[in-house]
Amino acid sequence: MLHAKIVDTSTEKIDILKAEKFLSSSNFGAVIYFVGTVRNVNENKKVTGITYDSRDTMVIKSFEEIYKESEAKLKIKDKAVFIEHVKGYVTVKEKSIIIGVGCKHRDEAYNLSKFVIEEIKKRTPIWKKEHYDNEESKWLKGVSIQEN
Amino acid sequence: MKITVELHGATKDLSKNNFLEFEIKKNSSIKDIKIQILKFIEKNFNDNQNLKKLIRSSAFCSEEDEIVSENYKINDNQVIGIIPPIGGG
Repeated sequence: MLHAKIVDTSTEKIDILKAEKFLSSSNFGAVIYFVGTVRNVNENKKVTGITYDSRDTMVIKSFEEIYKESEAKLKIKDKAVFIEHVKGYVTVKEKSIIIGVGCKHRDEAYNLSKFVIEEIKKRTPIWKKEHYDNEESKWLKGVSIQEN
Repeated sequence: MKITVELHGATKDLSKNNFLEFEIKKNSSIKDIKIQILKFIEKNFNDNQNLKKLIRSSAFCSEEDEIVSENYKINDNQVIGIIPPIGGG
């Protein structure tokens, strides 16, 4: 069971209550939430917010692939996974991503939660433009996913 | 033939339209598109080396959202996406 969505911050807010509702319907005993938020300082610069850009269809595809691959790689067959990532501007301390996982046992849930966020970092086409208190802004360096 | 390159992330700095259009020869590949974009930067962005480095480290994807290799052949009127180094979460 997977819920995967891009949340456009110009029209909607990312909300952990939705993850709780989704996971409570799954009846799994071990539930873990990972919440990513915008840091107020990066590389000694005072951050005021981040604009997230994404290739939405490819992002959802990557979430689905990560979900499917977790079965083969982690041997976790029964699970519920909730993934929402923002697109658009978010201010400091606001949430950028919510990953909720539900499994039968806690070790599975911890492993699955870590697997999902690490794979998103490696392969999901999302980009960050950081904004600073001096009104400058900068696209952050990322990980190349070139295929050669 | 004409192709459109959809821009994402830092490559959006290349155009306010969020895409670039190029006229290229038949049987061109992603490799040729990269050369076109590098020439575009030389001409319009004063040969900005950071932007060129960004293009060299970028991947490209098809309309079906598949990452494609440098040898991938482009068709007339095809839309491809440029995928600069990623960093979500």
